[in-house]
Amino acid sequence: MVAAAVAATLLAGCGAGAAAPDASSSSPAGGASGETLVVYTNSNGEGRGEWLAKKAAEAGFKIEIVGAGGADATNKLIAEKNNPIADVAFGLNNMYFAQVKAADAIEPYEPAWAGEVDASLADSDDDKAYWPLVKQAILLGYNSDKITAEQAPKDWTDLWSKDEFKTRYERVTGLGTATAQLVFAGILSRYKDDSGDLGISDEGWKQVEQYFQNGSPAVAKTDLFARIASGDVDMGQMPSSIVAEREKSFKVNVETVVPSVGVPLAVEQVALVKGTDKKEQAQKFIDWFGSADVQGEWAQQFNSMPVNKNAAAKAKPEVVEFFDGLKQQDIDWNFVQENMGAWVEKIELEYMT
Amino acid sequence: MIRLDNIEVSFGDFIAIPRLDLHVQPGEFFTLLGPSGCGKTTALRTLAGFIEPSAGTVHVDGRDVTRLASDKRQVGMVFQNYALFPSMSVRDNIAFGLRVRKEKSAESDRLVRDIARRVELSDEQLDKNVAELSGGQQQRVAVARALVLRPKILLLDEPLSNLDAKLRHQLRQQLKDLQSEFGITTVYVTHDQDEALAMSDRVAVFNKGAVEQIGTPQAIYDHSATEFVCKFIGDSSVLTPEFVAELNRLSGAGLHTAANSYLRVEKASLTRPAASGTAASGTAAGGTAVGLAGEVVSRTYHGLHSRYVVRSHGADIRLLVKEDGGAHPAAGAQTTVYVQPDHVLQYHPDTGVALAAHDLAATDQAGQDQAAQDQATAIR
Amino acid sequence: MSGTPAKSMLRSPFILIVGAVLTWFIAAFLVWPNANVLIETFFPDGNFSGRAAEKLFSSQRAMKSLGNSFLLAVALSITVNVVGIFIVLVTHYFRIRGSRILFLGYATTFIYGGIVLAAGYKFIYGEKGIVTTFLLTIFPGMEPGWFSGFFAVLAVMTFATTTNHMLFVANALKGVDYQTIEAARNLGASTWTILRRIVLPMLKPTLFAVTILSFLTGLGALSAPQVLGGRDFQTITPMILTFTNSPTSRDLAALLAVILGVATILMLAVMSRLEKGGTYFSVSKVSSALQKQKITNPAANVAVHAAAYLLFAVYTLPVVLIVLFSFADGAAIQAGRLSLDSLTVDNYVRVLTQPSGLRPFVISVIYSAVAAVIAVGGLLFVARILQKHKNWVTAVFEYLLHIPWILPSALLALGLIISYDHPNPLVGGAVLTGTTVILLIAFVTVKIPFTLRMLKASFASVNSSLEEAAAIMGAKTLYVFRRILLPLVLPAAAAIAALNFNSMLDDYDTAIFLAHPLVQPLGLVIKANTDGAEGVDGVSNTFVYTVLLMVITGLTMYLVYGRSGRRPGGRGRSKGRKNGGPLAAPGTAAPALPVVEAPDAKASAPSPVP
Repeated sequence: MVAAAVAATLLAGCGAGAAAPDASSSSPAGGASGETLVVYTNSNGEGRGEWLAKKAAEAGFKIEIVGAGGADATNKLIAEKNNPIADVAFGLNNMYFAQVKAADAIEPYEPAWAGEVDASLADSDDDKAYWPLVKQAILLGYNSDKITAEQAPKDWTDLWSKDEFKTRYERVTGLGTATAQLVFAGILSRYKDDSGDLGISDEGWKQVEQYFQNGSPAVAKTDLFARIASGDVDMGQMPSSIVAEREKSFKVNVETVVPSVGVPLAVEQVALVKGTDKKEQAQKFIDWFGSADVQGEWAQQFNSMPVNKNAAAKAKPEVVEFFDGLKQQDIDWNFVQENMGAWVEKIELEYMT
Repeated sequence: MIRLDNIEVSFGDFIAIPRLDLHVQPGEFFTLLGPSGCGKTTALRTLAGFIEPSAGTVHVDGRDVTRLASDKRQVGMVFQNYALFPSMSVRDNIAFGLRVRKEKSAESDRLVRDIARRVELSDEQLDKNVAELSGGQQQRVAVARALVLRPKILLLDEPLSNLDAKLRHQLRQQLKDLQSEFGITTVYVTHDQDEALAMSDRVAVFNKGAVEQIGTPQAIYDHSATEFVCKFIGDSSVLTPEFVAELNRLSGAGLHTAANSYLRVEKASLTRPAASGTAASGTAAGGTAVGLAGEVVSRTYHGLHSRYVVRSHGADIRLLVKEDGGAHPAAGAQTTVYVQPDHVLQYHPDTGVALAAHDLAATDQAGQDQAAQDQATAIR
Repeated sequence: MSGTPAKSMLRSPFILIVGAVLTWFIAAFLVWPNANVLIETFFPDGNFSGRAAEKLFSSQRAMKSLGNSFLLAVALSITVNVVGIFIVLVTHYFRIRGSRILFLGYATTFIYGGIVLAAGYKFIYGEKGIVTTFLLTIFPGMEPGWFSGFFAVLAVMTFATTTNHMLFVANALKGVDYQTIEAARNLGASTWTILRRIVLPMLKPTLFAVTILSFLTGLGALSAPQVLGGRDFQTITPMILTFTNSPTSRDLAALLAVILGVATILMLAVMSRLEKGGTYFSVSKVSSALQKQKITNPAANVAVHAAAYLLFAVYTLPVVLIVLFSFADGAAIQAGRLSLDSLTVDNYVRVLTQPSGLRPFVISVIYSAVAAVIAVGGLLFVARILQKHKNWVTAVFEYLLHIPWILPSALLALGLIISYDHPNPLVGGAVLTGTTVILLIAFVTVKIPFTLRMLKASFASVNSSLEEAAAIMGAKTLYVFRRILLPLVLPAAAAIAALNFNSMLDDYDTAIFLAHPLVQPLGLVIKANTDGAEGVDGVSNTFVYTVLLMVITGLTMYLVYGRSGRRPGGRGRSKGRKNGGPLAAPGTAAPALPVVEAPDAKASAPSPVP
């Protein structure tokens, strides 16, 4: 155990040593308080993390970004609730933050920009602990070089009810990702039935069954866009923010379907971690990060759709236009949050093949 | 029965056996003796068919087996560690060769039981695991396994070398008895000269891949053909030129003073040998013991006898004195060493070959040799 | 040596101290956390809940996946043995031309595995793979997707998991007394008979042990079925991982894990039953070194050579392609097309110049090294005591130390979190979550069963009289341990530590739960850089990381094994066992790598005269 202690010291020492260059590179000419904020996020990919660290430094915040997938970041926040490492968490959607809040790992805080966002997208409780930043649409996309808008499916249900699509869509092989869960939230919500199994009518479960009986199973480590490019499949699920960039990488053109009921919107949120010893600094950071200016720049940079009304003006027009024309599916998130775990379990056990 | 002609064995650049000729008679217990690394095991393995010689031929029972696989030569082998198959019972070990031959199981059973009886393994022992047997029992299993196939010759590769002294003596007898019982031609490899002398009909002494001497145990002991054999077999004192010169002076024998000279321990004595007056059996000069003055350097008591070192004319003469109750000189005492000049073994200082000079004394001494041999064994 | 009464054992202060530390460690990190997980999942409100079982047994998919996992485990136990024994024989037993090259080819499984290995095979045999394309030109009617399902998974996993054979069976083979082979030959046995009746039976304990490892590998199969299993052959592990991550379904994960754990224990029991009663070790102390056997039948010789080189191609092609593809862009990798002129070092530049840079490598190397050293170092004492004293107390301890084999590492990690996310008196009232220590504990814990088995075996091969000799001269227990025993088992210990080190380098399952967010090991960074989230570069990053990991693990293996390694080559007859360096070390360990009992003194020492 002495060795363990030594090791811990070593690791800590190494951590501190190696962390230093990161911090100094993002340290601004002045204003940094010297306290490094630890920020958990699942939204650090494709340069977002570096960009944010740089901007924050310019604004006088020294931050250290820790990236992890949505579910993993959620588990981490809960696991560390008695010894929190993080000060701020952002990027997780309402479903994840609801879990974190239920575990008592985040603490209510009303940011300075609370009035600039649609409060209905935030924590639905009265003591709001997480606040919306970015809207993300969960879409059904198809290869527009192969399929015209008229031929394209009009809704998810067309995929398995129409023969021409039955073998042409990629279906998921696991429900671990937020995107997959939201797709099913969107489909199942339509069949809400209090007398049905887990609040869903038999008809609803039949849809799920059909979804899995048809379709081409996703291939591990092979991107949907790669499969579209190779002609393996023609359509599948995708979050709105990745479309433009993947189209470019794989040299394909993809259009998206907007069903008549609308599309599920995932709203990325930000929250203050409970028990942080840098509370004041963390709150300042949240105020800064959610502000119209920063969100506007972020939107400009990463094709995102900010929730902050004042930031929308700075977002890319085509994005704003897309979201303006986008019909949001009316989903009872409380109902979804309550049942998602059970749904995933049922689907994994009974419908996935 | 066995003939190795012009055998040469090489491993890559290294020539383990430059040239070897051996003839073994039917029924003979023939021993290959030498220090480790001398090529004796290589010779045995060539005979067994594990090593293919780079030149020469091997004949067994008149048949050229040089290119034949080991199992086609009708040779049985007992390995240094017995090489019993640990995963099989004693019975399966013995029956292994029979089963490989596809012998009928009833017949195989009979043969196994038969051989087991002859090597004195009980039925109960047959069903044991080999690890449960004692060293002696393991040896009997190994012999039985080799003999059950009725080989023409039996090869034994240092089968006693890993055992403790007492067991070694016991098993030596057991092996010899088994060999006489079966009457099988046996080639035995050992580095233990005591074993070789006691068990063999004839011995081939190996050194650096070559045979130094082949002969009966008595012949290689009393008339070691080379200095190497003389030093390797038995125990002897190195004589100085002054000592040899004094011997010549006293006896009139014509020993070479410049030769490397040795005297076996049992051939020197502190009393004048009673029966040393064998003038008839050779020249008077060589056949009579003469006394040389010396001083006792040390005495070690061994119960049956004492070992003495007596310094005389620069030579440390080692000798044995029977502890028969008589009075014996202590260290520091002046004494006389009696030596018969024709017992001195002389070798050419460059070639190591025995010198003819003392041959003049080496006529039929069988009786005396036998006596010396007996004495040596008894004392040991 | 066997059967020291428990009471007398407790008189040694050395044993008492080690025992106290061990009891604490087992209680704190093996029993308590795992009991917590199981209690929390099966007794959610203090009452037993049969929900999980009900759900699982009524799920067709779960049952089928579970069945597939078992099928794979059983099939793998057979095929890995067949292929593994074959490659061991051609590299170590038969005289095969170019066996050194063959060895290097077969040894590629030492340095890589997982999803990239499966992907590598897909590049070759998949629908657009090189071999498939070639076959299609010969048999145009052939199904391009032939390489999928059970057969493909089994094939890939078979070739990927012969590592244990190359290590342990090969070394056990070296311990076979050559004289027994000569004896059998002298008695007329053919090459095949000698192999079947003499050599293989002596390898049984090692074969049993590696069979268990193969069985475990099959049960836990994850990436190969995901990549190659297709619709019809999915296994249970992905489901366990999904359920572990979902708080409401954790009971299912735990139940599945327990089912697999019970199967593992059954397998252990069956194997030790099979093994019992046999003697597999040379009854002699003096044995001669194995010499390579010539295959006398010319037809058989040609056939074996052909098969050996075919396998060589099977083993090495994926590695070559992975290395090549690591220089290609992501789209090319995903499409499985390779053009030599498009290869650049961009991928490497990107991976190595990202903000985290080499830091995750350093962190992982330190974590793995420290964990490997602690696991091996600590268990050295424990293994010695367990091996030397056999009574009910040590038996209980030994079984408890196998707990990590029963539960998947994700659940072990969860157990640690549940138990130590609040001040706990077991660890002096500290909160372990959010510290750097908790991951280290998990790393050490996970490696305990394997390390213990191997160390115990290597102690078993140490002549007990050495220890007694030192004790008679008045040396204290610890001194004897340090000066006499340690040097003897050190090569084996180093080899075990190296294997542990390699296997933890890219760990993800435990790190994702336990890693300190600011001290993230490589596995997490790899995952972050390779999942879809990072875009199209993710896939090329996977390959870069794989190649970099190959370099590190290759280097480790070289440091431990390579330097002593004038590998098999024609040697003249050498009497007595070569006192080889670490290369021979697991060999001395391996013959004694029995599942349950090491050979007792009777079997390894010449018996005294009755």
